[in-house]
Amino acid sequence: MKTQEVLTDIYRSGLPQLDYLLQGLLPGDNVVLQVDHLGDYPYFAGAFIEQSIKDGHKCVYLSFAAHSPILKPVKGLEIIRIDPSPGFDYFSAEVHRIIKEHGRKCCYVFDSLSDLVDEWATDELLANFFQVTCPYLFQIDAIAYFALRRGQHGNSAISRIRETTQILIDIFCVEKNTYIQPLKVSGRYSGQMFLPHLITADIWVPVTRSGDAARLLSSAVKQPLSIRNESIAPWDSVYRKLLEHYETGNISEGDQISDLKEALSRMLIGNHKKLVELSNRYLTLANLLQIRQRVIGSGRIGGKSAGMLLARGVLNSTKGNFDYSNILEEHDSFYIGSDVFFTFLVNNDLFLDRLELNKKGSLSWDEFNKLEQRFLEGSFKDEILEQLRDMIDYYGQAPIIVRSSSLLEDGFTDAFAGKYRSEFCANQGSPESRLNELLKAIKLVYASALNPDALAYRKKRGFSEGDEQMAILVQRVSGIPYRQYFLPALAGVAFSRNLFAWTGRIDSQKGMLRLVFGMGTRAVNRVSGDYPRMIAVSHPTLRPETATEISKYSQRMVDVIDISDNDFKTITFDKISTDFDFPSIDLFVSDVSDGFVKDWLVKPARDMKNILVLTFNNLINQTDMVEIMGDILNRLEKAWEQPVDIEFTAYVDSDKNVKINLLQCRSLHVPSLGGVCVSIPKIMPKEQVLFRSDRAINAGMVDNIGYIVYIDPKIYAEIPDIETKKTIGRVIGKLNKILAGRENKVMLIGPGRWGSTNIELGVNVGYADIDNTSVLVEVAREKAGQRPEVSYGTHFFQDLIESNILYLPVYPDDEKSDFNSDFFRSSENVLLKLLPDMAKFEKYIKAIDVPLSANGALAKVIADPQNRNAICVIDRSGLSNINK
Amino acid sequence: MSGINPFEVAKQQIDACAKIINLPPNVTTMLKTPMRELHVSLPVKMDDGSVKVFQGFRVQYNDARGPAKGGIRFHPDETIDTVRALSSWMTWKTALLDLPLGGGKGGVICNPKELSNSELERLSRAYIRAIYQFVGPERDVPAPDVYTTPQIMAWMMDEYSAIAGKTQFGVITGKPLALGGSPGRGDATARGGMITIREAANTFGIDLSKATVAIQGYGNAGYHAARLCKELFGSKIIAVCDSKGGVCCTCDDVSGIDPGTAYEYKNTTSSVCNLPGMLQISGDELLELDVDILIPAAVENCITDKNAGKIKAKIIAELSNGPTTPEADDILYKNGVHIIPDFLCNAGGVTVSYFEMVQNFYMHTWTEDEVREKLDNKMTSAYHSVLETSKEYKINMRQAAYVRAVERVVEAMKLRGWI
Repeated sequence: MKTQEVLTDIYRSGLPQLDYLLQGLLPGDNVVLQVDHLGDYPYFAGAFIEQSIKDGHKCVYLSFAAHSPILKPVKGLEIIRIDPSPGFDYFSAEVHRIIKEHGRKCCYVFDSLSDLVDEWATDELLANFFQVTCPYLFQIDAIAYFALRRGQHGNSAISRIRETTQILIDIFCVEKNTYIQPLKVSGRYSGQMFLPHLITADIWVPVTRSGDAARLLSSAVKQPLSIRNESIAPWDSVYRKLLEHYETGNISEGDQISDLKEALSRMLIGNHKKLVELSNRYLTLANLLQIRQRVIGSGRIGGKSAGMLLARGVLNSTKGNFDYSNILEEHDSFYIGSDVFFTFLVNNDLFLDRLELNKKGSLSWDEFNKLEQRFLEGSFKDEILEQLRDMIDYYGQAPIIVRSSSLLEDGFTDAFAGKYRSEFCANQGSPESRLNELLKAIKLVYASALNPDALAYRKKRGFSEGDEQMAILVQRVSGIPYRQYFLPALAGVAFSRNLFAWTGRIDSQKGMLRLVFGMGTRAVNRVSGDYPRMIAVSHPTLRPETATEISKYSQRMVDVIDISDNDFKTITFDKISTDFDFPSIDLFVSDVSDGFVKDWLVKPARDMKNILVLTFNNLINQTDMVEIMGDILNRLEKAWEQPVDIEFTAYVDSDKNVKINLLQCRSLHVPSLGGVCVSIPKIMPKEQVLFRSDRAINAGMVDNIGYIVYIDPKIYAEIPDIETKKTIGRVIGKLNKILAGRENKVMLIGPGRWGSTNIELGVNVGYADIDNTSVLVEVAREKAGQRPEVSYGTHFFQDLIESNILYLPVYPDDEKSDFNSDFFRSSENVLLKLLPDMAKFEKYIKAIDVPLSANGALAKVIADPQNRNAICVIDRSGLSNINK
Repeated sequence: MSGINPFEVAKQQIDACAKIINLPPNVTTMLKTPMRELHVSLPVKMDDGSVKVFQGFRVQYNDARGPAKGGIRFHPDETIDTVRALSSWMTWKTALLDLPLGGGKGGVICNPKELSNSELERLSRAYIRAIYQFVGPERDVPAPDVYTTPQIMAWMMDEYSAIAGKTQFGVITGKPLALGGSPGRGDATARGGMITIREAANTFGIDLSKATVAIQGYGNAGYHAARLCKELFGSKIIAVCDSKGGVCCTCDDVSGIDPGTAYEYKNTTSSVCNLPGMLQISGDELLELDVDILIPAAVENCITDKNAGKIKAKIIAELSNGPTTPEADDILYKNGVHIIPDFLCNAGGVTVSYFEMVQNFYMHTWTEDEVREKLDNKMTSAYHSVLETSKEYKINMRQAAYVRAVERVVEAMKLRGWI
């Protein structure tokens, strides 16, 4: 461990009096000057830099504030301007990068740190910044000067800064005299070091007489006890002012109130233009104050919370076919502010790891598991723990869900669908055990900010260096207790545009629902062998199955919270359906008789041994459910001015009135079916065709495909051991990384459902394993048991759309598919050239170097937007051009 | 069937059969030609107020032995040649079972997945209005088939009755029980197959109470087959599978797979493939297990020249349609595997359809036991008649079934004086 005991390497401050007072500056010293007037700061900073230049040190002035420059340009001083407005994360990363680039023993002067609060609204982030930057400077023997304006920050922030820095000095004025008083000087001590000193041109005179000291300090601007020092950071001050106006009834929309309201909105919701506009329009001052009162810690509430609150605001304040005051369920959510996340990182030595990982943009799952463990071992500040305790007391033993709500999540261009974690807390047991369960959930959500899929997604979308803080939305789980379970009757996702228009009759502009019984996790995840009900808003009774297929392709498993076991579980539907006594069950189920589905006209007697299947037919036919959802989607799309998707739970009361709990609303990335102008060549030599598909969901042309990674469905189905099957996904991930840097594009072809949780039905990959592919093909060989199901509306599906990965299902057993088995069989497998240590997988995974197998040609996929047909061909056009 | 004209296949089968029994060319020609076809256009008012015109067919292939019998298919890829082929196969099936019926088939080019329930009802009723003069309890009696359901049969019966001015249960079979449907229809196909298995086992000296059974496919037919194997014979079900994979019981498992447990498991998880306590196997592995009885009850062409030589079962009971390719047929025949061909093995369904007609004629409902007893008589008799024909002509069971059926149709045509 480094000590400052060795005094051989003394730096000079440029002020001999100061050097004398402090007994010199030491490598690694962070010097914080607390000033009444910023005008006092240049005197010290200027002298320091002038001296350091003379002494041959590298000198850097980091300028970021709106105030006048602290230093003038001089030879030997490098001035670097950083914009703090993108946020704490970006700013800290930039400063860190600069310090790293300049190496050891560099001298720094920073602008006033207090100005950062104007940008970031809270003292918490200021303290976080100091707490991550100061130790790094110390570590590399740099010396840095910082300034703080007295009286502008809360105790907590000042005390954290004091604790972290090596030197803290008060500069204050009394009767036109300026005094200096060191408050902390690490590793040095003298009998007069901590006395106030009068600054004069020649010598600095210590105020040693008690009477003088008392007179001086009692008339100084600074308060003697820090406890009286109330933060004037906007986070607190804006709120105080607005609350005062609100409580006194003085809330007429004058300019001052409007400005303050917008300021509060920006602090809570964010700066995105559209968010600000929606907030101004649809959230009242009362709404914003309510939100602010339910924020734990400080900082923004994140995209997911913002989307949910704004959507509720839109529905409650626009007029339409339905009165949403009778339809929307109330919510009583809490928000863990985004600052808490960074404080957690900083206090638990995780910040720099995160910074490095964001730069790197990748992490293996094994590494992540270790990192996650460190998150789980982390602790929260006492004041946050107190607030979390209050929240647990508030909810009592009601199940809650801890949901990620990062600043970028659910924004207007990037959905981050499912990248971060949500954790259910059954919330049973003693208050302490419930608090521990909650803390664990929060830490898991925090850790998920760094999971491999999230890192890959952020890197792909260009957010690695962006400001991505993790706020958290804590919601009461919507539902009812039933036996030992807790579950909502209905849950799902809904989209204002329907990408699952399996027939031309369906109006894709009118949206669709992906509906399940029980918790909505089954609607958003790509579950295997289980099928949510897909409902087209324009034609709700149509479904892509008929006759005996209906019962086959229906939901069988239900996600619930098991209150008796304090756990989230997936159970079979018959555990709930047997007594026919779940409220409104008659609206959700149909009988199956000889494989055919029969809707209930009346609820049958309890002792009948019916086989029940979840069709939701009576819900669709006998309630306003679909009409309401269509109206919601329509209104939200209008307000958002772009397609949206929502998550919801719902129930139907005994009078068949539908109640909706809107959990989330975000923009929906719709594939550009309309704008793409491609057509499939009418004549194509059969030997050039690799396959055809008639169910493309996104259209376009992908050429220059140089690698095809092919997993034969039959061979996959015959892999004897589960472990090998599980590992195939990881090998695909490695190929994905290796091929990412290649000039030509990659196409993945594999059995059934990529990303399925059931490895029998498809290769188990995450987003990070496939993000570099351009075309993803799911091969259905009924005989091998695989069946593609695009899982429209799942997070996996959203990933494909957002990443512009062309998705195609192919049915080789259908002659129309023109599946070129010969090509895939006879092409050389170059897997070992790419991954030499993967010999074990050579028989299962075929990596085809297309030019090698096709005489120099590359492959091309064309997906026609009009009829959703697609073709994959060996493209010889490039070769002919070369030959010409 | 894409790429191959199914009616051409059907005609080739008749040619092959005619060769075996030396049919005169003019008779062969007649057997290769449908007797009557009706092509109809069906204007249907859609939910949005527009009118869409659908094309429909009804083919009465041969009614020498009695009123035509055969299903109605609602399928987007329906063609007249498919309907012709299927109606010819119905002719042979009813003849083989010695039912006083001919063969027919119908279809409408439509995609039921694109139709709401009310549109489907209007289409069903429109179809009946269009073919009203052509069908009837004594002319041509349709039934459910691809994408048509008991509910659709109920609508069709109601429409026919409305036009006739009286209830006409007998115009259609496969109706719900509450509207003149027959008891015992649910497991009729599987039960019919079991009867043929029982007869085959008796013939070849296999003790079914000690026999092992593997079932490929665990839908309605597969489940009932497993259940009945256990219930009727006490056989041990050692393996079952579905499209997602299969399971096999362990060697030391004396009771084998419990059919009810497996069915319940499939209903709750959508597949049998992770049935607790069982070993996982693939569908292909199941076919090659060392069992006494193999029951294909799922997909076409699963037994091919590639795996036929590895099949160890003594009896293959084809509960599904077309599980064995012609090449595999030859290999299995040479290897002494006894095949109960599909249109004998799965004829229990059409037989109970016939029973439904009879009950409707008499305005009477039999008990399930009565239906089962009569089904037993019909299936037993049909099995032995095919077996005898096979021995007589020294041909395999499939060829024998065709020969026996064609002989019966030709005899009826001759007696009627058509030839």
